[in-house]
Amino acid sequence: MTGQSLHRRRVLQGGLGLAALGALPLGGGALAAEEGDTIIAAAKGIGKTELKAIMWSNYFVPMKGPIEEFEKATGIAITGIKDLSTPTIPQAAMAEALTRSPDFDIVHVGSEMIPSLVSAGYLEPLDEYMHKANYKMDAVGDYANLATYGGKTYGIITDGNIFVHQLRKDLFEDADNKKRFEDKFGKPLAYPKNWDDDFQQMKFFHNPEKGIYGSGNLRSRGFGYVWFLMYLYSFGGFPFDPDMKPTVSSDAGKKAIAVYLRDKEVAFPDSPSWGTSQMIPHIAAGDVYSCQYWGGLIKLQENPAKSKTAGKWIYGAVPGGEANGKPLYRAAGMPVVVLTVNKNSPRKAAAAYMACWLGTEKASSQIVTDRVNTFNDAWTRKEMTDPRVLEAYTPGGVKAIQANLQVAAPNIFLTGNQEFVDVLDKNLGQGYLGQLKADEVLKQIDEDFAKVVKRIGTAKLKKDYETYATIMPKATQPS
Amino acid sequence: MAEALAGAATGTAAPGRLDASRSKAVRRFKWMILSPLLLMLLSLLTPVLLLQLYFSFHQWTVYLSSWWNADFVGLDIFQSVFTDPRFGWAVLRSLAFAGGSTIGCFVLGFSLAYLIYRPFRGQALYYALFIVPMLTVPIVIAYTGQMLLDRSGPLNDILSRLTGHDIQVLWLSNPDIALLTVTLLDIWNWTPFSFIIMLAGLSSLPKEPVEAAQILGASSWRIFWEVQLPLLRPVILLALVLRFLDAMGSFPIIWGLLQGGPGTATETLGIYIYITTWQDFNVSLGAAQSYVTMVMMVGIVLLAIRLLRREKRSLDTMYAKPQEAEETA
Repeated sequence: MTGQSLHRRRVLQGGLGLAALGALPLGGGALAAEEGDTIIAAAKGIGKTELKAIMWSNYFVPMKGPIEEFEKATGIAITGIKDLSTPTIPQAAMAEALTRSPDFDIVHVGSEMIPSLVSAGYLEPLDEYMHKANYKMDAVGDYANLATYGGKTYGIITDGNIFVHQLRKDLFEDADNKKRFEDKFGKPLAYPKNWDDDFQQMKFFHNPEKGIYGSGNLRSRGFGYVWFLMYLYSFGGFPFDPDMKPTVSSDAGKKAIAVYLRDKEVAFPDSPSWGTSQMIPHIAAGDVYSCQYWGGLIKLQENPAKSKTAGKWIYGAVPGGEANGKPLYRAAGMPVVVLTVNKNSPRKAAAAYMACWLGTEKASSQIVTDRVNTFNDAWTRKEMTDPRVLEAYTPGGVKAIQANLQVAAPNIFLTGNQEFVDVLDKNLGQGYLGQLKADEVLKQIDEDFAKVVKRIGTAKLKKDYETYATIMPKATQPS
Repeated sequence: MAEALAGAATGTAAPGRLDASRSKAVRRFKWMILSPLLLMLLSLLTPVLLLQLYFSFHQWTVYLSSWWNADFVGLDIFQSVFTDPRFGWAVLRSLAFAGGSTIGCFVLGFSLAYLIYRPFRGQALYYALFIVPMLTVPIVIAYTGQMLLDRSGPLNDILSRLTGHDIQVLWLSNPDIALLTVTLLDIWNWTPFSFIIMLAGLSSLPKEPVEAAQILGASSWRIFWEVQLPLLRPVILLALVLRFLDAMGSFPIIWGLLQGGPGTATETLGIYIYITTWQDFNVSLGAAQSYVTMVMMVGIVLLAIRLLRREKRSLDTMYAKPQEAEETA
């Protein structure tokens, strides 16, 4: 760290003036500034600034190193956080927004909240600061689009949350299992390409008596809807049409709900109430054959000190669906946790540059490779070849993350996201428990969505829809 | 004669005036003591209630405009509260949860209080032990409950060992059981509350009626059933009412453990109003739901006060009768 700082100072003394004037890129010569130097140059004039953030400490702790570095160079630091878990930050952020409070400069929140917070007048667009600092979010695929709204950037990504498909290598590669599978289904046991393959394998390996459950996917309140949206997108579905008429009761919706509900046959009986904190220990203990899960789990389960199953997993692209006769892959990219800046803060410029700094590859690779605080996950292009990242996630894990980031699909990216999610939570939950039939679930979701649309305003949401449709990944499958 | 008459008149009138003056002074003193508190309560509550009332009649979409620009919609929001089946189910679940918790807390609390109300060596230790659950933060109970009640957790394990069968009750994942589970946890948390009230009630019972009953040869059961229990009725009612009101608004255990799930199995009033207001940011609907709930609770409180007064009157009468009999004798 010290060596890097000295080097940076030398570079600053030599060529920063030119860099700040926009003379970058200067090529690979001796005057080439390190990544982030332009941000420091842009922020330096602001002077000593103490920033406050709403952020979960699990995310904040690994950021401390890069923050100290930025403070040494610019005098700007995050000196205090309101420590809230990420799922509870939307409520706190909205309370801040409604009171137009200048108290917090940075809010670390899921990007799906951007439309609501922008509509409430709380978020500062960051493009101008990014331009001044010559900073660009260098994310894999279209992932950086998930932090934009109405063509503007409102968040700097720190956590590349993306679903990765994983299955038990030891079971999958076992010769006896391969033979039994082939004998039973008349086809070789191969990496699942679609949801049917996936289910067939989960069912084949589901053996609760021996402590192996086919699926480790989540179906509880607050989580299950993420899987449903992924299935829906992968069948070419979308929750609304351009006129904001709910369209969940479509053919894609029917396929998605079928995939969602059949998981019950191969899931833990406790799955209706299990969230990540209950499921992760079972996955890491090897009680599960396969699942789609956030890439960060790889860091945990490939850490021999914390997991019994290190080296026992195969990671890859999530299985796909089919739309218009062609395979379509969509991996859940939610929540994309981003640093947003309070528009009402008198320190918003300092906050914006701090956010940009933490989003540089240099800072991000430090943040995402923390082996103790593993909440932030790799997302930049350069990180995909960084030896520290490869070590933390394994080469196979990084390859899978990279593949899935290319087809990262968003949460419902509309003003009122939380309301739409509540509708999904309630109805999917009742469907999973058998209190509603599959077609009733879809019908009820559409009816409830229509009420939310009516309340928030069709005209407003039609505008949001444009962004929502735009940020969907362009690629139909990982390259 | 006239003087005597006047004296007699004064003799009867003077105590009357004195009583009136005394009761007036008492009333004045009561108001003097109460008025700062009432003023503070009013100044704190009134703006909140008025704002809540404003939101209940104005549709405010938090993302789009300031609250003072919200559209007046008359009774539309209340109508949507009354026609929302989810709200109706939340009311029913709350009543079931609060009713179950109140009864459970009372039965256990009263039993424990009865066990230790007579002084004995080590009484203080038992007292301290019995109130420990109430000193535990509900959110901690939720997380502890999550571990204890896991399908392969300690509770099922103990039950399996005791019965010799492999018991795998889905305490948290079965929608038919989940509400009962959170009710049981609430009972564990709040039994000490009923215990303290009942212990205070039992300790302050007059000794004479019990001693008289003992002299007359009444069995312990008859003394309890026919002497102590009737005397305790106002205290019992107070314990039940306070616990019920508190349980109606219960939130942290249910939220911390299940967030209203699985499905909507534990979505009580507190949970639903929270989701509406703070998750959906539908402040207007949340305000109307809160008003309806408040009116319901005020109804329950008024009924409780009426019942308490009736109990007090019947107790007064009970005490007055032997006194009258003594005086007549």
